Amino acid sequence: GDSWGIFTFLCAALCNLPALPALNCTEELGAGQSIQKTYDLTRYLEHQLRTLAGTYLNYLGPPFNEPDFNPPRLARAERVPSATVDLDLWRGLTDNARLAANYRAYSRLLCYLRALDGQAGTAELRHRLGHFCSSLQGLVLSIAGVMSSLGYPLPVGPAGPPAPPGTSVAPNDFLKKMDDFWLLKELQTWLWRSAKDFNRLKKKVPPAVVTLRLEARGF
Amino acid sequence: DSHIQYERVGADVTMKCGSMDWDAAVTWTANGTDIDESHLNGSYLILKNVDLTQSGQYSCYEGSSWHLKYQTYLRVGMPPKEPVLMCRSNNYPKGFYCSWHLSAPTYIPNSFNISVIHVTREMVCEKDVFPKNRCHIRYLQLFSTVKYKVTLTVTNALGKNSTTVTFDEFAIVKPDPPESVVAKPVPNNPRRLEVSWQNPSSWPDPESFPLKFFLRYRPLILDQWQHVELSDGTSHTITDAYAGKEYIIQVAAKDNDIGTWSDWSVAVHATPWTEEPKHLTTEAQVTETTSASTSSFMPPPTTKICDKGAVVGSGAVAVCWTAGLVLAAYGVLFI
Repeated sequence: GDSWGIFTFLCAALCNLPALPALNCTEELGAGQSIQKTYDLTRYLEHQLRTLAGTYLNYLGPPFNEPDFNPPRLARAERVPSATVDLDLWRGLTDNARLAANYRAYSRLLCYLRALDGQAGTAELRHRLGHFCSSLQGLVLSIAGVMSSLGYPLPVGPAGPPAPPGTSVAPNDFLKKMDDFWLLKELQTWLWRSAKDFNRLKKKVPPAVVTLRLEARGF
Repeated sequence: DSHIQYERVGADVTMKCGSMDWDAAVTWTANGTDIDESHLNGSYLILKNVDLTQSGQYSCYEGSSWHLKYQTYLRVGMPPKEPVLMCRSNNYPKGFYCSWHLSAPTYIPNSFNISVIHVTREMVCEKDVFPKNRCHIRYLQLFSTVKYKVTLTVTNALGKNSTTVTFDEFAIVKPDPPESVVAKPVPNNPRRLEVSWQNPSSWPDPESFPLKFFLRYRPLILDQWQHVELSDGTSHTITDAYAGKEYIIQVAAKDNDIGTWSDWSVAVHATPWTEEPKHLTTEAQVTETTSASTSSFMPPPTTKICDKGAVVGSGAVAVCWTAGLVLAAYGVLFI
């Protein structure tokens, strides 16, 4: 049905990304396998981010690159999707809600990161950011793949960050750097959270789901 | 009436005999022993450069009547140095605990106050009954980007001091070591040891927050450890153990994705299965029945070789030692 169409499209899109290894689009990825691959991607990204964040914060200069830097959260920073969640609420999320939260968060974080890309200082930094963005895009598509293979609809909504008039551009250089700092912090926290989200999903998705879907397609 | 007086080590202390005049005739005692008049300035007691041994009960009696005019308990001590504070989450995601101690004793009573600030909110750190210098906090939210700031203040009669630590939720995650580590030989497999363990009981949710493990093992006679990292499961079979050698084995745990490794578990010892030499079995039974009533000590196999047969006297000892040396050389060759 529709989900199969979306899945083929996503697969084709994934295949076209230069930063990712080529996928065999004729193989159907079982839901369990996709979750494992998505989990692995979050770990890979988390590792990449450590180096990237270190370099970028050094480029921003002090106090942003100081290890104890612990600024208060400004209202404008609330635009970046936060991974912070109440413990019981997090535990009780349905698989669909859990995946959707991840999908929405990374879609928006990717947009913000791409905006960084254009202005970053050195060529090396821009190159690293570009590479990271490609990998992050791969994660978004991977999550979409898992959702579609489980039969969940992809969350709809604005692809970019909602921009209330007047607050989309930071009024001064320091506040712009604060925005960048919080973006990287939230991204890091999301990647830690996603590892836990996908751990839960790994345990909960039964192998039977994969078998049923194969039968539905007449294999 | 009596009270307590706290003074710093090295200070000069002047004690007045209550409301008595300076020129009144008085006698001072320290823990019941009279104090020599050389320490008096009129009716005041002067203690210069006090040290810890001078702590005790000081009493002042009126000269002739021996009425007790004043009594105080002197406690010599120090103001607190900067305390040592540490916070750790061994029960993620439930919460974390903080524990503290003084780097040097003060010799007088101290009180501790801890404050935990997260975002703009002050969180309550519930003091543990045991150990006393510890308190725990429940997480209200998970996956927070804002650091926690914990400040510990130590106060006593002579001063105060404090220390602050700041950390991210993920940085302090460190599980307790794995529990119930068991290592057993595998029958008919002289190079194997089967090791199993359990998740630390303090880790509340291994389903959603799985642990990975690190196993290390070495024969007692060698210093170098071998390591195996296991991302799943609570057992492992060592397949490259040296035959007949006693091994020491330990396991550590870590959250799969965040935080640091636990301390090493309690060490367990095990020796791989070895085949019992068949011709000695009956000999062993004979030796056992004859010596069972005298002692419970079981001689090791090498001595049995020497016991075998009708070899007696000092010559037999020489044979024993040679046999032992040959076996040792043989064993070294195999290592």
